[in-house]
Amino acid sequence: MKNEALEQIKQRFGDRATDSPFECGLYSRDMAPVPALLVNPLFNTLPDLIVRPTDAGEAAEILKLAFANHIPVTPRAGASTVYFNSVPVQGGIVMDLNLIKGVAGLDASAMTVTVKAGTTWLELDQYLNPLGYATKSFPSSAPAASIGGWFSMMGYGIGSLKYGNLLSQVRAVEAVLPTGEIRRLTRDTEPPLTWFAASEGTLGIITWLELEIRKSTLMKHFLIAFPDAGKMGRALEAVIHARPVPYNVHFADDRYALAMRSLGFSPADAAAAHTLGIDYEGSEEELRQAQDKVTSLVGADSAIRLFPAEITQREWEEKFNALRLKRGGPSVLGSEIWLPIKALPGYLSDIRKMAGRYGLDLISYGHGVTPDRATVMTLFHADETGTFGYVLDLSLVKKIHDVGRRHGGCPYGVGLWNTPYLGRIFTPPQLNELRRRKRILDSRGIMNPGKVYRSPFILNPFSFAAGMEVLAAVRRVAGRSGRR
Amino acid sequence: MSEKLVVKPFTGLEKEALICGRCGYCRSACPVYNVVGWESAAPRGKIAMAKEIFSYGSRAGLPAEFVRRMAQCTLCGACAGECSTAIDTRKMWLELRKRIVDLGQEPQAYRAMRDNLLARKNISTFPNEDRLEWAQDLDDPDALEPRAGAEVGYFVGCVSSFFPQAAQIPLAIAEIFTEAGVDFTTMGGEEWCCGFPLISTGFVDDSRTFIRHNVDKIKELGIHTLVASCASCYHVWKNDSREALQGYNLEILHTTEYLACLIREGRIPMHELAETVTYHDPCDLGRNGGIYETPREIIRGIPGVRFVELPHHREQALCCGGGGNLQSVDADLAAEIARLRTEEIRAVGATVVVSACQQCEQMLTAAVRKAKLPVRVMDVSQLILEAMG
Repeated sequence: MKNEALEQIKQRFGDRATDSPFECGLYSRDMAPVPALLVNPLFNTLPDLIVRPTDAGEAAEILKLAFANHIPVTPRAGASTVYFNSVPVQGGIVMDLNLIKGVAGLDASAMTVTVKAGTTWLELDQYLNPLGYATKSFPSSAPAASIGGWFSMMGYGIGSLKYGNLLSQVRAVEAVLPTGEIRRLTRDTEPPLTWFAASEGTLGIITWLELEIRKSTLMKHFLIAFPDAGKMGRALEAVIHARPVPYNVHFADDRYALAMRSLGFSPADAAAAHTLGIDYEGSEEELRQAQDKVTSLVGADSAIRLFPAEITQREWEEKFNALRLKRGGPSVLGSEIWLPIKALPGYLSDIRKMAGRYGLDLISYGHGVTPDRATVMTLFHADETGTFGYVLDLSLVKKIHDVGRRHGGCPYGVGLWNTPYLGRIFTPPQLNELRRRKRILDSRGIMNPGKVYRSPFILNPFSFAAGMEVLAAVRRVAGRSGRR
Repeated sequence: MSEKLVVKPFTGLEKEALICGRCGYCRSACPVYNVVGWESAAPRGKIAMAKEIFSYGSRAGLPAEFVRRMAQCTLCGACAGECSTAIDTRKMWLELRKRIVDLGQEPQAYRAMRDNLLARKNISTFPNEDRLEWAQDLDDPDALEPRAGAEVGYFVGCVSSFFPQAAQIPLAIAEIFTEAGVDFTTMGGEEWCCGFPLISTGFVDDSRTFIRHNVDKIKELGIHTLVASCASCYHVWKNDSREALQGYNLEILHTTEYLACLIREGRIPMHELAETVTYHDPCDLGRNGGIYETPREIIRGIPGVRFVELPHHREQALCCGGGGNLQSVDADLAAEIARLRTEEIRAVGATVVVSACQQCEQMLTAAVRKAKLPVRVMDVSQLILEAMG
């Protein structure tokens, strides 16, 4: 029956469906270069069929057949994550949502835009900006990340500090449920749209969203160099809790500055310092207040330095390009941590100690996204062409997560690879509630199976931790020199 | 906008393919992906395959699908501008096409094109001696025969020389130069293809013979200012002929640069033109050549002209579909890419769309005709000639 259903979909969608192994191979990975040696024995990441619907009606057709025949369906658009969030782990259908694209309507009086889910955040802003509007927030991967994709993740990024996470800006969504039912969902419907935020495509397919927007305003950017993480952390807390609220704050440790400089992406005379970038948007009055705030922050401390306007502007223009660090690789490995802001200096200090223990150059940067929380990316260069060394290096990803945990942090996002940390990410009642929703909406478990709710046997927290500890010990004893 | 500091050292195909982060920033910018829609047509998909084949060496031979996808590229360079890891993707595509040739798996259309070029020295089926056939419409066609010591050498290019629909461009340039009193000549039948079609299909070694020949002829004529009206010819002269030109003083200009100079010097009087004009940036002149302003300066300088920008312009300009020899392997795809550009032309309400590349003008002419748009497609030189009355 499964094969017949797949064939039926293939025939129905013609040149918008394929089972070519050549094409399917490209849909069996996201940004993470996890060796086939590790993946293939455990998961079937090769889709049986890829199909590209153009609207909710077509997505519903596919889901009805998939649901009836117990075929796994993995939604995918930008695939700009690293935890296999949009990679199948049980084969089945990959639904490529990139054709569900474009702006369906702008309501200037309500200050909302209705946008199809496969539109990227950059494309939406390119539509809004000439009309005098802008998105309230966007991910730091806006050129590739889709509107629906970011909603299906946690939705914190640039602008979240001032305007809240994406969920708080969404008025309504259209969702195709696993059974193929098409629903317009709000906060008051059953199920509410809130269930779908951060659900990572495990409850259905989002096809459009009605989002709050803002008027385009002037912006002012500041970039400040600090001699140590402690001073930077204190300044970060001060600026986040002061008025006016920054649109965005981002920070980086001195290793980040050094790496960017050595790769030619920052001026040769740029300080190897901890940096704090503060971006304001608003009225001229607000920007004047922001200027005063930053001036007082820098104050008379000669160890704190405000970067010139040109460098500050470049920093803003390069906001989507932290991946430039990869040129020092060729690969990078790392973890993104959802960390209490007050713990940032301690976290960075322990990361420095870990770097010393393992002979690594650990680079950290991130964004303050709520008054209390930051997303912190800590990464190191690796070389995926040496499989043994690369697998040993992979164990250090857990070590970074462990540092994050000691400081009250947890992984940001789940997908497949963070399922061993479910106990850190969710409390038991939270996890039970998520599982209850899954049972209600997807009784056959066809939507993006293997993600979010429980770890696969091989990734269960105990065996995973034990395995990683052994590998990390070997990595440490082997003393593979890092790239310091 | 502050000055870009990004450096893009191309460290070799194998390493650059590993550096790609598969972030997908390249996808939205890619004209081929925007039409085809499959991951294998996206720059990151192509690099992922290149990584598997060349960086890991994990496949014996080249999959036919990979070769087909590699030919589906206009070499517009839009992906390079978006790349978060600063990979010079245009260099990567050229290198990959060269590898495909080295492995003897290039598309048949490429091979036929190369054989024709080696035999005739131009991309048409006409003998190269007929290079100045277009000049028969001038009062004194013989005046364009190669002449040593002229102040300016006009490099006409294959498309303008041999394709009747493009002949109005060299005619316009010759008339403008004559009116402006420019002391110019051509290479006549001694002009060979610039080599761009060979470079862009992977026959880099063959291209050197063509480059060397043209450089030798320019030296023989004692030309020290070369003006090219084809964006691709200009690109080759500017970038790929450096080695052959070493030690020889040659100023290389695109016609838009030279014409803008003549206008500034007051040597081209222009009358009022009541037109709404938009400008399509050719990829090889704009994104890959850095020339954005002079064509706009010329258009804006024509009295009566209302200049409007296309939604995607300058660094973000959409490709016309005519680059990278795409037409020879997938004419429908090239035409569909051009159609996307006509939607932008329609949106701005232009009566004239101007470009500065014969290939772009051909693609756009066909596309606006098919879309039944009431728009004239012209080269910058044709617009100037019209304004000269």
